[in-house]
Amino acid sequence: MAEKRPPRTLGPGHDQFWEWCGKGELRLQKCTGCGALIWPAAAACERCGDGEMDWQAMTGRGKLVSWCSFHQDYYGGMLPLPYDCILVELVEGPLFLSNPSGFGCEDIEPGMAVAVRFIDCEDDGGAYRLPVFARV
Amino acid sequence: MAEYGALVMPPSIPELSRKAAIVGVGETDYHDDYRAQRKPPPGYEPPTTEALASLAFERALADSGLKRGEIDGLTGSFTYGGPPPAELAALLGVKPRYNIANGNIMAGPLPVVCAAIAEGKADIVAMVYAVNSRSVGRVFGGATHLGGAEGYGTPPSYYYYHPWGWSSQAAHWAMIFAHYQMKYGLREEDLGAVAQQVRVHASRNPNAVMQTPFTIEEYMSSRYIVRPLHLLDICLVNDGAVCLIVRRADMARDMVKTPVDVAGWGEARIKHSKFDVMVRQQLRPQLEEAGGQAFAMAGLGQADIGHFEGYDAGSMHLINQIEGYGFAKPGEGVAFCQAGEMDLTGRLPTNTEGGNLSCSYMHGWSQVAETVRQLRHEAGSRQVAGVRNAMTSLAQTDQAHPLVFARGD
Repeated sequence: MAEKRPPRTLGPGHDQFWEWCGKGELRLQKCTGCGALIWPAAAACERCGDGEMDWQAMTGRGKLVSWCSFHQDYYGGMLPLPYDCILVELVEGPLFLSNPSGFGCEDIEPGMAVAVRFIDCEDDGGAYRLPVFARV
Repeated sequence: MAEYGALVMPPSIPELSRKAAIVGVGETDYHDDYRAQRKPPPGYEPPTTEALASLAFERALADSGLKRGEIDGLTGSFTYGGPPPAELAALLGVKPRYNIANGNIMAGPLPVVCAAIAEGKADIVAMVYAVNSRSVGRVFGGATHLGGAEGYGTPPSYYYYHPWGWSSQAAHWAMIFAHYQMKYGLREEDLGAVAQQVRVHASRNPNAVMQTPFTIEEYMSSRYIVRPLHLLDICLVNDGAVCLIVRRADMARDMVKTPVDVAGWGEARIKHSKFDVMVRQQLRPQLEEAGGQAFAMAGLGQADIGHFEGYDAGSMHLINQIEGYGFAKPGEGVAFCQAGEMDLTGRLPTNTEGGNLSCSYMHGWSQVAETVRQLRHEAGSRQVAGVRNAMTSLAQTDQAHPLVFARGD
């Protein structure tokens, strides 16, 4: 059963990100000029301004940098309250915002190791797979 | 509807320092308007943007002692829409030779006007700001924030993470504080000292929306908005207007009230890796860069600043600014507040009118109004004794815009 989620940002670049997620792969844009990893997807490298980007596969592993827990309902009841978000530093360097899977904010320890998994979700753009992070 | 979008900041150069001074200030009745909107009396109609703007202008004009006909410049700044320049001039009964739509939030509009005065476009400019966030039901989170053409100029962090449920400005400050707690070992209740201090200041301001002091126990029992932040960590949403009258500095010296010179400004923005810069570095690179520009332009340093007004959209963000501008060491901003250094007799009296947390959410404009009162020495029971120089900071989730002011006597 797919979870109903608030809308993704779709369009050039974003569509490719979600296509890779659909295949169970976390991939971010990598600038062919300066090597920066970019997320969210952008038309040009936000660091050097170059326009050439490749999609680079991430290992999906990282460590927890921060968290927060929503008690205010910003989405008209779509997400049961409270729910948690986490900020993960991928081993490749970028910070990735996501949800914890199988643990909550009470279990969080600084720097705890996490790994990506994908859950079935849907929004007005259709069914898709959302990257979330579980403890390792 | 006029376009009140991005504006271009003039350069932070000493040649533009102290070329213009604030000689009049007017604000609307934040406290009374908020009460009336929460408990409307029969037949109550919330004030329009135009009515708020007119009231602030009339009060600033009276405060300045100038005549309406002397106003030869006018700028309008409106966060959620307002009258275009010609309509605003007609509304206020002025005939300006310089009349522009001037962005919306502080701090950009003030440097724009100082530069225009230095270039001879006008000698006395009325800067009007009004916002009716509460009466239009503005929501600060969720699907209000969009990308693409509809949300032009909105930072991606306001809308991109919807699928994970991450939204609102409050969530930005929450993520920063949760990391700060891990890094420096702070308890949740430690941050309560910041909102508590700002409320103590507001208790001395009869126009502040919220004036009742609270205990740390009351802070901890206030509901979470985005944990670890409580309701009392998040700013107000209210309606109001501010008017500043800015005059060519060399013409402002013989006025009844002490002019307040605009001495310096700065601007820096996050260009990439926003989460890293915001959460792990608390915008320190931008605050240091922009603060350095403003201090150098003014020819002043941190030790010269006797009063600080920071953008406390969230309590944690006030700490980011206190640390980032160098008033406290990294990781020591909350302890700085707990030690009383942000109180009237502390090293850096901060947000003395009650800030965005307790006085009014005028997107940085009411902080400038308070700075003027403090530097004129007319802040009454909340006056910082003998203050001569002040810093006001507008800082959002991805940018810093400090202003430095000096008594013009």
